Amino acid sequence: MLKTVKDFVNHGDLRRFRFWLQLLLFILFIYGGYAAIQLGDNLPTFSCTYVDGKPGTCFLVPLQHRMVTTPEKLFSYAGMAILTGLFYFTLWFLVFNKAWCGYACPLGTIQDWITALRKKLGFQYVTYSWEQFKKLKKIKYALLLLLIFIPMGIGSGIFSHDMGVPFCMICPARTILPIFSGDFSQLTIDFSSKTKMIMTSLGMLITGIFLVGAFVKKRFFCFFCPMSALHYLLSKPALLKLKKDGSKCTKCGDCYSVCDMQIKDIADDVESRNILRDDCIMCFKCVSACPEEGALEVDFMGQPIFEATVQGYIKRMQKGNKSG
Amino acid sequence: MDNELPVEEKKVAFNRTHQAIEAERMLRRIKDDFPDNPDAMDYFYDLYEQVYCEGRPLYDTEKVVGTMCVQVPDELIYAAGGVPVRLCNGFYADDQVGAEFMPAKSCSLVKATLGMLDNKSTLPFVNKVKDVVLPATCDQKRKAGSMISEMGYEVHNMEVPPVKESEEARLYWRRSVHNFAASLKEITGKKITKTSLKEALAMVAEAQKAYRTLHALRKEAPSIFLGKDAFMVTNAYFFDKIENWTAAVNKLNAELEQRKEEKFSAAQRRAPRILFTGSPPIFPNIKLPVLIEQSGGVIVADETCSSNRMLYDMVAVDEWNVESMVASIADNYLKPCTCPIFTKNDDRKRKLIHMAKEFGVDGVVYQAFSGCQVYQMEHSSIAKALQAEGIPMLFVESDYSPDDMGQLSTRIEAFIESLKAKRRRKR
Repeated sequence: MLKTVKDFVNHGDLRRFRFWLQLLLFILFIYGGYAAIQLGDNLPTFSCTYVDGKPGTCFLVPLQHRMVTTPEKLFSYAGMAILTGLFYFTLWFLVFNKAWCGYACPLGTIQDWITALRKKLGFQYVTYSWEQFKKLKKIKYALLLLLIFIPMGIGSGIFSHDMGVPFCMICPARTILPIFSGDFSQLTIDFSSKTKMIMTSLGMLITGIFLVGAFVKKRFFCFFCPMSALHYLLSKPALLKLKKDGSKCTKCGDCYSVCDMQIKDIADDVESRNILRDDCIMCFKCVSACPEEGALEVDFMGQPIFEATVQGYIKRMQKGNKSG
Repeated sequence: MDNELPVEEKKVAFNRTHQAIEAERMLRRIKDDFPDNPDAMDYFYDLYEQVYCEGRPLYDTEKVVGTMCVQVPDELIYAAGGVPVRLCNGFYADDQVGAEFMPAKSCSLVKATLGMLDNKSTLPFVNKVKDVVLPATCDQKRKAGSMISEMGYEVHNMEVPPVKESEEARLYWRRSVHNFAASLKEITGKKITKTSLKEALAMVAEAQKAYRTLHALRKEAPSIFLGKDAFMVTNAYFFDKIENWTAAVNKLNAELEQRKEEKFSAAQRRAPRILFTGSPPIFPNIKLPVLIEQSGGVIVADETCSSNRMLYDMVAVDEWNVESMVASIADNYLKPCTCPIFTKNDDRKRKLIHMAKEFGVDGVVYQAFSGCQVYQMEHSSIAKALQAEGIPMLFVESDYSPDDMGQLSTRIEAFIESLKAKRRRKR
């Protein structure tokens, strides 16, 4: 019985499963609020606060708000609020780890849809060179630091209050996601002050870059996402894990070939057991493209829930070849 | 006097050559010295009989493209409307002819391949070859290129990086493969298209799927299949029509499944299980595998470029357009390759150790052709890695000449005996 279930999962069509789950979660994170779903303010994904029907709020919003404070307050009650928020954020995060990116994030899903459109139109995607990759991947940490320190600067009077929630101002989720509930109001430049004008212009510019970028590069934005950086800092104790058994790996590079995030370690590192890297979005395409029994696996609380198998690999490739 | 005869007159029917006799002799040993060969092996025995003994042609109007190493992607040749045939050769008679091209202490395989290509009456599928794709792998293959081109063949070099771990190597090789894919149009007259490449990928994947099933069936203990037959099967992939080959392997797999259910034993129940690695056994030079199995061992797995290394690793594609398919193919032909020409051999060690465990191996036999420096140089590091895991290894230096048979069989028998003794001590 257990074996039948296992085989069903391991030989299943991950692409289809992921497509439907992503669609379902997209609907949840855009319209869930209308169905009175409330998941709180500390979600580890872009459940954008500017969306009317949001079922909860992206943790980066309260984080930026709460950081607008003075250092004295930060080490008293304001600090407590931040820690409580971080606690709930961590609880949410620890269960699903970075699968929030690969399955739940509405902005991620949109990028996958743009990729699907590009594929249909027959355009080839671009990749970064290894040098570019190494440099660009640091940007997300810089953004994470900025979205913490700029609000602190506001609190200390260094920056204007018009700089409030600085990351949201440049985040493409703010401009794009509300469109899905018919709200185009974020697609404007705010001329009420110089700072706001600069920030919203920057937001518009980045939205444009996002749309073009996602068309030519798979999961273009995730590379720079400060949420992804924050995730990675907390990912070690998470319950959902991506594991590799290097002794079974032939380094054939099939996993790397299908990786949207160009993570080389997935193929080349045969030492690490935990093979999650900071750019990983836990989409598990690598596991589904691995032809070595058990070389890659998805674990939940130490139990394998999705393993690489030859049979599953062959089935999925045959299907891809026929429909791709 | 002989030299003055026009070339055409030197041509003799293949079945009257030394090669045909050599092939006949080995085929008899493989077939007749062993009882209980699977019925499905008849396809392969007959194939060798027809091609290697009788010299009957396999191909008619197809554009046959010769390849010299496992790094040449078959998928691309099929996609361009050609048929790849591996030219690596195992005839002692050709080895002797080839000696005039290479220093005396060179690798038999390279010499035999040169001798075969120089020969005017050779294997029927080789006779049709005009284009030879030669990846710049070891020194000897590399230098053989210019000699082959002097013989009148069109040689297409593929540049192989000497290091395979770096990003530079990946990009360099991707470019080599990309250029090769583009140049195939000049060889076959057909351009690779998305559809043709997808079909080629599916066809090769089907063959690999059949191979993997066979490979997995060899894990059975006691063994249901002998290694000498496994080498015959994979070696046939060098030249057989791929769809026929796949069908024949699937038929063999079905028979072996039957054997598995019947708890059939192809060798003695307690026969030491051997993992074969190193220089590739290529028909008719199957003498070492045959000696091992005649001495009471059974080869359950191998790590050689005439078998596992050629067929095991399968290409995965994310987006099925020509560019990404070619990139995936390129990575797959370089990154997992355990050819000893590369600087490091960590992958080979890991693969051997994993295979030894997976297949319940008692000992490893490492064949190195005399003159194959790279395999000889890797010998001690592989021996050490295996020793650390408690896996005994026998290093055998050999060539294509039949002279060392006596000496070899003594050493192999001793090794097999020692493995048996070790097993008894364990119990």
